[in-house]
Amino acid sequence: MSTILSTNSLCRHFGGVRAVNDVTIAIRDKSVKAVIGPNGAGKTTLFNTITGRLPATAGTVVFDGRDITNSPVHERVKLGICRTFQINSLFLGATVFENVRIAKQTRMGKSLKIFSKRDSLADVNEATFEILEKVGLGGKASELANTLSYGDQRSLEVAIALAGDPKILLLDEPTAGMSQLETNNIIRLIQKLVKEIAVVLVEHDVDMVLSISDSISVMHQGSIIGEGTPDEICKNQRVREAYLGDENGH
Amino acid sequence: MEKAIGNKKDRKGLVIQALVLLALVLLPFVLGNKFYLRLVTEIIIYGLLAMSLDVLLGFTGLLSFMHAAYMGIGAYTVAVFLSYVDPGASIWVTFPLGIAVTVVLAFAAGWLQVRTGGFAFALLTVAFGMMYYTLVWKARSITCGDDGLCGLPKPDISLGPIVLGNMNDSLTAYFFTLAVVAVCFFVTRRIMHSPFGAVLESIRENTERASFIGINVRNYKLMGWMLACTLAGISGVLFTYMKGSVSPTLMDARAGGIVLMMTLLGGMGTLWGAFIGAAAYIFLQDFISAMTENWMVFLGLAVILLTLFMPKGLADLPIRLGQRLTRQRSNL
Repeated sequence: MSTILSTNSLCRHFGGVRAVNDVTIAIRDKSVKAVIGPNGAGKTTLFNTITGRLPATAGTVVFDGRDITNSPVHERVKLGICRTFQINSLFLGATVFENVRIAKQTRMGKSLKIFSKRDSLADVNEATFEILEKVGLGGKASELANTLSYGDQRSLEVAIALAGDPKILLLDEPTAGMSQLETNNIIRLIQKLVKEIAVVLVEHDVDMVLSISDSISVMHQGSIIGEGTPDEICKNQRVREAYLGDENGH
Repeated sequence: MEKAIGNKKDRKGLVIQALVLLALVLLPFVLGNKFYLRLVTEIIIYGLLAMSLDVLLGFTGLLSFMHAAYMGIGAYTVAVFLSYVDPGASIWVTFPLGIAVTVVLAFAAGWLQVRTGGFAFALLTVAFGMMYYTLVWKARSITCGDDGLCGLPKPDISLGPIVLGNMNDSLTAYFFTLAVVAVCFFVTRRIMHSPFGAVLESIRENTERASFIGINVRNYKLMGWMLACTLAGISGVLFTYMKGSVSPTLMDARAGGIVLMMTLLGGMGTLWGAFIGAAAYIFLQDFISAMTENWMVFLGLAVILLTLFMPKGLADLPIRLGQRLTRQRSNL
């Protein structure tokens, strides 16, 4: 399978702190890649540098053969790089429907229709409901985002990202704070999505990571210290020492 | 699916706004007093200015401390043209000219401002506003500085060869102003309800998320800014037509503060609230200044009380009343 996104010696330093240090990873199309590591390992900073939230200090990000290291955020999204945030980033004052609708409208290039009613775009509405159904929020379309439960807000976060028709979807701790039921829904969703697109995960739930990832990269103090299939990662001595804890791996 | 979309509330609002417009059309026939008619005309002009700030502040979430500067640019453009170029110029020349000059100067400021956000944006509006104000104030040979330009000819209101009236006549001035502002209001209302308006609101709600759904935030901020400044420029053109005079106080820092107060008093994010805010401010000013020289103190007090007890502005009153009526009806 071909590589859809790769970083080449990517660095992001904050003063003297090397939050992301010389990271080279390749994400294959139609696969799940998980980035794991202890708190402060630089996983979210890596996401932020890949998606353009933070400029890279050095190195490059290449998407689909194209250098996007210096592209603005909205252009990366247009290319199909969509993400969720570790801390929910929603349009809290708007309805669930509007949260996804505005993303869909942007994706479909209808934002300059200044004399149409915003909710009269039938194709946008239809696509919006399709996504809400997909993440299980179909019945809550008219609720305000700030009245949703935390788990539902996490799902909405994913729905907004999906509305951008991603070719690669970066999920920053998608199941943090979710119930087991909600987590299972997200897992099923990821398994369905990965037939079409690449998914990158930052996740602390090791069981989940081992069960759904095709490939895992382990970060420690800004660097990748191990990479491979779930099986290989479990056997990797360096990873065990740095991340999984004691020598026995338990 | 339909519940989430529902347009009913919006339609009800439109009907009410159309009825208010009808009442305003009939107002001069009820109101005998010419003085009050001119006062209402002024309220409508300032209402347009406050509404234009609402587009920026209430919808896009960007603060401008010197929005009156762009009213001033529109007003001065027309005033200078009437003074030096052609005193008999048709409104079909001066109106577009006033808008065009406002657009050019607003673009220069906006292009730089949208590269920032939050406080930096607000501070840059002060910087540009003060700059434009100082230009007008110091270019004495053209603008007569502090004295301003007075005794400007009032233009005819014409449609092609047909002259409908002259701005000297307070009834003509009222109807012309009302017509222009009504068009501005309903067009802006439509734009704010459009997908474009939704983009502006998403920037207000969560700028970072807006860029992460693929919105070019800078461009849309600039478009919101340009729309707001264009409307402000139109209010300036109307001001010169009505008053026949301009002075730098029209666009100084205090004027900027007053517009902001009108918008906040009225309540943000509704457009029509701005007109209520302008009316409240101008009536209070008129009413209190008739009683005491220190009217600013009492006006300030009134604004403080309103801000404390009605943080959502005066527009919240009819909204809450409407909700209560709906609830009562559904209880029956």
